[in-house]
Amino acid sequence: MPNVAPHRLSAIEIVRSIEAGDLTAEAVVASCLERIALREPVVRAWAYLAGEAALAQAREFDRSGRKMLLGGVPFGLKDIFDAAQMPATYGSRIYAGWWPPADASAAALPKAAGGILLGKTITTEFANRHPGPTANPHDPDFTPGGSSSGSAAAVADFMVPLAIGTQTAGSVIRPAAYCGIVGFKPSFGLFPPGGMRINTETLDTVGIMARSVADIALFRAAMMAIPYQPPVMPETPPRLGLCRGPHWDAAPAEGRHVLETAANRLAAAGAVIVDAVLPPECAASDEIQRTLGAFEGLRNHMPELRRHEALLSPQLRDTKISLGRKLTLEQYRAACNAAENARRAAHDRAGGFDAILTLPAPGEAPRGLGDTGSAMYNAIWTQLHMPCLTLPAGHGPNALPVGVQLVGRRHDDAKLIEMGLWTERGLLEGARLWAPKF
Amino acid sequence: MGAEILSASEAVARIATGKLRADTLVRDCLDRIAARAAVKAWVWLDPEHAVAQADAVERAGRPGLLKGVPVGVKDVIDTYDMPTQHGSPIYRGNRPFADAACVALTRAAGGVILGKTVTTEFANREPRETVHPLNPAHTPGGSSSGSAAAVADFQVPVAFGTQTGGSTIRPAAFCGVIGYKPSFGEFSRVGIKMQCHNLDTLGLICRSLDDVALLRAVLQVQPLRAIERSPAAPRIGFCRSASWDDASTDTKALLERTAARLAAAGAVVREVTLTPANMLEQQRRVFAFEAARNYAYEYEEHADQLSPGLRDGLLSEGRDLPLAAYVEAIETAEQFRRHLADLFREFDVLLTPSAVGEAPEGLGSTGDARFNAVWTLGWVPCLTLPAGTGNAGLPLGIQLVGPHFADEKLLDAARWVEARLG
Repeated sequence: MPNVAPHRLSAIEIVRSIEAGDLTAEAVVASCLERIALREPVVRAWAYLAGEAALAQAREFDRSGRKMLLGGVPFGLKDIFDAAQMPATYGSRIYAGWWPPADASAAALPKAAGGILLGKTITTEFANRHPGPTANPHDPDFTPGGSSSGSAAAVADFMVPLAIGTQTAGSVIRPAAYCGIVGFKPSFGLFPPGGMRINTETLDTVGIMARSVADIALFRAAMMAIPYQPPVMPETPPRLGLCRGPHWDAAPAEGRHVLETAANRLAAAGAVIVDAVLPPECAASDEIQRTLGAFEGLRNHMPELRRHEALLSPQLRDTKISLGRKLTLEQYRAACNAAENARRAAHDRAGGFDAILTLPAPGEAPRGLGDTGSAMYNAIWTQLHMPCLTLPAGHGPNALPVGVQLVGRRHDDAKLIEMGLWTERGLLEGARLWAPKF
Repeated sequence: MGAEILSASEAVARIATGKLRADTLVRDCLDRIAARAAVKAWVWLDPEHAVAQADAVERAGRPGLLKGVPVGVKDVIDTYDMPTQHGSPIYRGNRPFADAACVALTRAAGGVILGKTVTTEFANREPRETVHPLNPAHTPGGSSSGSAAAVADFQVPVAFGTQTGGSTIRPAAFCGVIGYKPSFGEFSRVGIKMQCHNLDTLGLICRSLDDVALLRAVLQVQPLRAIERSPAAPRIGFCRSASWDDASTDTKALLERTAARLAAAGAVVREVTLTPANMLEQQRRVFAFEAARNYAYEYEEHADQLSPGLRDGLLSEGRDLPLAAYVEAIETAEQFRRHLADLFREFDVLLTPSAVGEAPEGLGSTGDARFNAVWTLGWVPCLTLPAGTGNAGLPLGIQLVGPHFADEKLLDAARWVEARLG
């Protein structure tokens, strides 16, 4: 049996230990629940915890003796998804007390692979900007990022090894980076959205979080109900396109420093680093993002606007929805078409690299819990429908984690994960090899 | 006969000028439903609640694009005040917390949600109880079976359907009414049971082209953009499609006759062939792969309550389909969409069959989607117009297909065509 508390283990270690008879699923769930009991008063990652039910499922799994992809691994689900026998609020007071009848696919598929759903994690209001109570586990005075706040904080704090989020702009990658874990947003449409509360259909992407790239690969197979093929460490170092834009100059020093340092370390470990510049078709991405979000947002929130308008946050009502009332159908269609043009241009350009290396967030998590930070470094990649992976790569002035982001070609998700495996190792190796020149 | 024969647009005009009361219209529709219960178009109907909604609209006295118009809602679409059962015993008695976006938008415009219309199991192929309103021995088509039958039978002027393969256009054509599947991305899907995120499209079934324009304005929260009264003659691409050989002789004859008639009336009509031709196979892959995953809960937790056809057919097929085959289908579909965009530089609309033929006899199958699934995959707007009857005396439709995000142009062309169908 590994010489650490079970809640510290990776998903792969948990599965292996249970299969070897060194550990029970019940012990894993119990250990996670203990960790949660200890830390939840500070971190506040959970909207709902199904501790007893999870223990019962774990015992049942132990009795079955089955070998499954996620056999006995606890996971958390962002409260923007439905799960049967659990309440769903979507981060809104409007839905207080609502118990949906069915599991979202993001709950049903990991469960079918042997995973044990521990509960629902805190989301910002409808996966938008109005924050929940979650704090950054590294320092509770700082935001964990959002909108998948609880999922990122819970994984980072060893409450659960795996969790599910969603990204419409930067809601998986940014909180994962702020909390110092691995976040993965697949190519648009590859994880099923059934049972997820829609934010913006042209952008919404289901994503996952873990503490290692290998766990991401395992979890991904379960989320897609595809055969699991362990990722293979690339034999030759990758060719990485270092992409500083857009908004490079607006990033705080630690964000830029960690990315430049990571590039140097990866180069020391053998990677070929070349400059990557976004094609001009991508220049309007911020405006496209606003237009898609606001136009769809007004229509998507009509059920709440009609019956519960006073319970929407002013932030959502007076910014996004209010802008949605001013936009015309022609503006919306033009934004959809512009995004499609950008995707085609970027797809052609991305052929020159094994992956793009870029910022996952401006820098470390901002102070305070009132704002989950800027998605300005994420929106473009979400719009481009490209797979994204963030890895922890350093720290900022407040000793909080700072990550880097790898972006792959659309539909080359498996390759991106292998690049992530190399990068994860390369960052460690490169740190030994590379010395800054003063 | 009462107000139930009015189109939504006609009813709105009369209600706005005080010539008709909303509750009268609702009562006339309810009377028709009661008289015609044998059609079995409704899975949920609460007459008192419907009348109460109409009374509330009258009392509120607010103007609204749809003020007082009853609307039927396919039972894969959530309603906060009515059950939503998805045509499946798994969801028997299910009460959603909130309306779907399309339902809330309808109510916000003064519409009355009359009730829930019958859907096949999860908007798929396993039929439910609805019969064809003109001949109960025939299917009304599906999956939007109840919506098409109810509109055709003057039980409600407009109803929502959905289309993943051919579930709006086909039943509308079978029942002899107008069916409209917009461009992919035009209408919100919030609160509609997700089957295939790359295909599912909210559609409309009605008896007047003006109602399509009216409902579009309501669902998009945009000013009403009326259809051109006398549009210019369109450039028409006559697309027999790769499935032409499967069409019935009366359908083939109708399409040939219509193409000739429209050319004689002044339209430029030229034949077009789509490339590549295997889009039905690509649509099937996307359908199976995505449905197998979006219905994961039902498949994993309630397999015994799924029809064998859905469980052991589509869903297990989707589970077995390799990811690479799905991704290839997605990318091929994107090429196909670009091909269509190129094609529409030369044409305003394509003319093509709405279905294989008339509504087939028997209630065991809702018919074949091969003349629809390709366009659903292509994300282009489709509209079926009733255009005659077939050998069994049941309706036949013609289908018009327009460029993506140019639904207004499709409606203008449809107006021109409709006036010349004879």
